[in-house]
Amino acid sequence: MSDIPVFFLHGLAYAGLLFLVSAGLTLIFGMMNVLNFAHAAMYMLGAYLSYTIIMQLTGQFWMALILCPLILFVIGALIERFLLRRVHKYGHLGELLLTFGLAYIVTELVKWYWGNYPLAVNITGFLSGTITIFGFIYPIYRIFIFLCAVLVGGVMALILYKTRLGIILRASVNDSEMTNTLGVNVPLVLMGVFAFGTALSGFAGVIAGPLLSTFPGMAQEILIDAFVVIVVGGFGSLGGAIVASLLIGQLQSFGVLLIPKLSVALVYLLMAIVLVVKPSGLFGEEQ
Amino acid sequence: MKQKIMPLITIIALFLLGIFMPVILKQYHLNMLTEIIIFALFAVSYNLLLGYAGLLSFGHAMFFGLSAFVTAIAIIHIPGLSLWNVILIGVGAAVIVGFIIGGLLLRHKGSYFALLTLAFNALFYAIATKWHSVTGGDDGLSITRPGLDLGFTSIPLDSLTNFYYLTLVIMGAAIVFCWYFTHTAMGKTVLLMRENEERMKFLGFNTNISRLILFTFTGALAGLAGVFYTLHFQFVSISAISPDMTTAVLLMVFVGGTKKFWGPLLGVFVYIILQNYLSNITDRWPLVIGVIFVLMVLYVPGGLSDVIMNVWQRFFEKKDNNGGKSATAEEV
Repeated sequence: MSDIPVFFLHGLAYAGLLFLVSAGLTLIFGMMNVLNFAHAAMYMLGAYLSYTIIMQLTGQFWMALILCPLILFVIGALIERFLLRRVHKYGHLGELLLTFGLAYIVTELVKWYWGNYPLAVNITGFLSGTITIFGFIYPIYRIFIFLCAVLVGGVMALILYKTRLGIILRASVNDSEMTNTLGVNVPLVLMGVFAFGTALSGFAGVIAGPLLSTFPGMAQEILIDAFVVIVVGGFGSLGGAIVASLLIGQLQSFGVLLIPKLSVALVYLLMAIVLVVKPSGLFGEEQ
Repeated sequence: MKQKIMPLITIIALFLLGIFMPVILKQYHLNMLTEIIIFALFAVSYNLLLGYAGLLSFGHAMFFGLSAFVTAIAIIHIPGLSLWNVILIGVGAAVIVGFIIGGLLLRHKGSYFALLTLAFNALFYAIATKWHSVTGGDDGLSITRPGLDLGFTSIPLDSLTNFYYLTLVIMGAAIVFCWYFTHTAMGKTVLLMRENEERMKFLGFNTNISRLILFTFTGALAGLAGVFYTLHFQFVSISAISPDMTTAVLLMVFVGGTKKFWGPLLGVFVYIILQNYLSNITDRWPLVIGVIFVLMVLYVPGGLSDVIMNVWQRFFEKKDNNGGKSATAEEV
């Protein structure tokens, strides 16, 4: 049981990754009321793009970390403008079906271009090194993931609650017609939100590459965990996503240590308990 | 009067057509037809949720796959189990699970419902994959079909033709029962709940209970389809319970159209034939189907049945002047 700090750190690293994925998802859900099934597929696309950029083109991890979110930002903006906006009139069902169909297509395209097998993304330099912490030798990269998540969470919270842009965003959610009347281009704002959320999933994909390597099932694997984060934390709540990510990260990590055979079910058990006790999630508002 | 007789004639005509199929079709196509009939029930049960109740479930395969696995496990571990008991156990498992999960979900609708059903489907998929000693994991389970015991005589089901007739009768009866269900008071309640739940609550309906009943009922039907899936292929693998199976049934239903009862039947037919055809000419057929799906969501959200109804109205219903319009609005 002397490994406990190591498993705790593992849990933190996975929590960081989970937060990066679910932050974009919960942002889009909270702002636009769209549950984006394509989110995990975009995360997968980001990871595979980073493979091409790091392993085949430049060899620079930092390049991928900057370029992939930018590419996905553009893709996200195009999807919102030309596809999602069109089905808006059919209500939630249309939006769900559209994003679901897009996820299907993106996954198939990725399998087509990059092949149906895992690809390892190797990093070099400072991030690939190790550090001694609590008397254990620990990879720097895992700590880097957690710091990235803290940074992204902090920046998002600052923008949402401390800037003018944040006020406009929250106003658009609250009463989009009134905000529109006051001279804010709400459709443009929503396009930006969707594009930013997609870019965030790409960022998470780049981060995930060296940790988990890229493989065709990666989208589905993270999608379920991200969904559980949203259910447990509360729909559309950033604070809830932080707490739930930390909780599920540790649950996954210690689940493997303590009861390896049942570790898969633990996360669902947590979700079922939350559903029974507080169906709106830990930090969610009552529907 | 005409409206009441038409569906009956259609049902009888389809059954008669089905009876003569083994004479006309070769073994390969009869195999495909059996598969189509099994998936027809799966799709119809799914459409009761999607089309009638307006609930988008991403977890329908958990019932289908659960019953498929329970069937295989029961046949392997309980020697001498009769076919009727196999069906009973398989469907029973789906009913119990449907009731428990439905109880957890009944307060949720829309996006929440979609997300939660997907999560539960993933749980079942994970269990089927990891519990290797019982489910066979990636290898799957092979079985041999038990014979059909009718009390006075027993019919071996080794031949495809015999099994085809059994499938036709039981699946057909279940589909007809679904159609009947949509015309009962319960069926109408579900429909009205989709249109205006608040008003139904004011009228004194407990909409949560209605949703739970519907969820369990459709789960049981999907389970029945799952039992026959295992019996038909005499094999079950984790693909039966994977979220991809839910995707397949969603595509089938959506291609056919959710607005009409017969939409999913058409969808299953088109989907399975298209899949067989496309997989012969290209390895990328899921991509083609995905693109078709997105285009349909954008431009033909009513599915093929909607297109057919529009064409039908344009060419045939003009002559029918005395209230022809109300006939189309009255159905779902």
